[in-house]
Amino acid sequence: MDRRVVVTGLGVISPIGIGTSEFWKAALNGRSGITAIQAFDGFPMELYRSRVAGQVLDFDPTKFLESTQAERVDRYAQFALVAAKEAVADSGLRMEQEDPHRIGVIVGAGMGGMVMGEREITQLYKSQKPNRVHPNFIPQITLNSASGIVAIAHGAKGPNLTISTACSSSAHAIGQALSCIRTGQADVLIAVGTDASITPLVFAGFCSLRTLSTHFNDSPARASRPFDRARDGFVMGEGAGALILESLAHAKKRRARIYAEVAGYAATSEAYHIVIPREDGAEMAATMATALADAGITPAQVDYINAHATSTQIGDAVEVKAIRKLFQARAEKVLVNATKSLVGHTLGAAGALGAVACALAIDTGQVHPTVNYDDPDPACVLAGISARVQERRINTALLNAFGFGSNNAAVVFRKH
Amino acid sequence: MATSPIADQIRDALGAYLKQDPTTIHPHHTLRDDLGLDSMAMIELLFRIEETFDLQIPDDDLQGLVTVSDVIEYVERKLNPAPARQAKGPAKRLPARKKG
Repeated sequence: MDRRVVVTGLGVISPIGIGTSEFWKAALNGRSGITAIQAFDGFPMELYRSRVAGQVLDFDPTKFLESTQAERVDRYAQFALVAAKEAVADSGLRMEQEDPHRIGVIVGAGMGGMVMGEREITQLYKSQKPNRVHPNFIPQITLNSASGIVAIAHGAKGPNLTISTACSSSAHAIGQALSCIRTGQADVLIAVGTDASITPLVFAGFCSLRTLSTHFNDSPARASRPFDRARDGFVMGEGAGALILESLAHAKKRRARIYAEVAGYAATSEAYHIVIPREDGAEMAATMATALADAGITPAQVDYINAHATSTQIGDAVEVKAIRKLFQARAEKVLVNATKSLVGHTLGAAGALGAVACALAIDTGQVHPTVNYDDPDPACVLAGISARVQERRINTALLNAFGFGSNNAAVVFRKH
Repeated sequence: MATSPIADQIRDALGAYLKQDPTTIHPHHTLRDDLGLDSMAMIELLFRIEETFDLQIPDDDLQGLVTVSDVIEYVERKLNPAPARQAKGPAKRLPARKKG
């Protein structure tokens, strides 16, 4: 039986727009979603080395969700719910006409419910009143709260999983959704990536780790600059991306609109260092090669790479090295961009937002700009990186996602 | 210079971090190659030094810290700034340094 898998619906919550069309319009216009963090509950902001982030500033959960549903879940799960809702609607899937046991949910989240988590922990230690810990603390902080609530919202009774591999979480969510359908466990998967943890503690933790940009606190829109010489760390973001993956047979049967096929996937570990990639790029190259082999294609057939490219000195240079190593002459032909230049590093949502960019690039033939690519770092120069929109027929796209914990993922998308 | 109280404190901090006798740590040792600190270990060590001396070490200054004596001199400079310089606030000394 044909077990090819296609993308039939998209949903987005991002610092540059709520909803896929708003996101895509802003992305093509190269609009940065990075803004100054105004205040964290009166914390002295000058003690944060970085003070900018890709924030979703205009998100009102009650606009999209019933108030009890919105109140009961943490921000990251609200994002997941709203993005999934959009993706399901976009796919035209009618849940009442489906066998609910054949529809699953896989959510990728790096940090989870940190908004309530931080608040409750802080209050307990301050007040020392354990009897005042909110009853909803455990259901919200449990890392599968988002996948649970998305399934409940749609009556999806198939596989329900949460993947937490830091920054590669949702690339794996999509990859595992592909595997689920290929192996016949389900016909449809709602694959979501989400994170909303621009919180006083998590943000301070990333500051202490010295991974964030600190040079552009006064010009936030310039802070996320993958591949540019002046890049000085990533910019933390928040958001969610959702994709409806379904078997080609199922999509055809219901005459669904198909954005792209999900053709291949690789999951690897560098088994090297908890936060540093192997500097020769060999493991990243091997991950991409494995995904392409799974899709049955060669590097020469790839038209576009949505790079992991977080805007750190080491990470971007290693990724370019890996691309050159694997793609050889093709490295100068393939188009490459960094969605994080627009929205920052949305952690668990990063893979899903990159996947949305891949699906739309295949669907529309447009590759969004890498903003702030003003002065190319010699270590990161590739002919296919541009600060402007590039138009070309995209038959095959490759999504990269590399996470803390030595964790790598790559997903291949193909025109259907 | 290597026997100043600051130098001793830094060597003690290094010794404690590396679980190594501080007297075996010499100013000419490079943090990366001689003492085996990777970039994550450097960040952890500097976190400890920031706490010990109540300092804020900006990211830009990290690349100047190659040897143990670099760290000692850096901390001494930060704690006893030359009179011509303003001793105010964390680290505005290297604003325009090229980020390599």
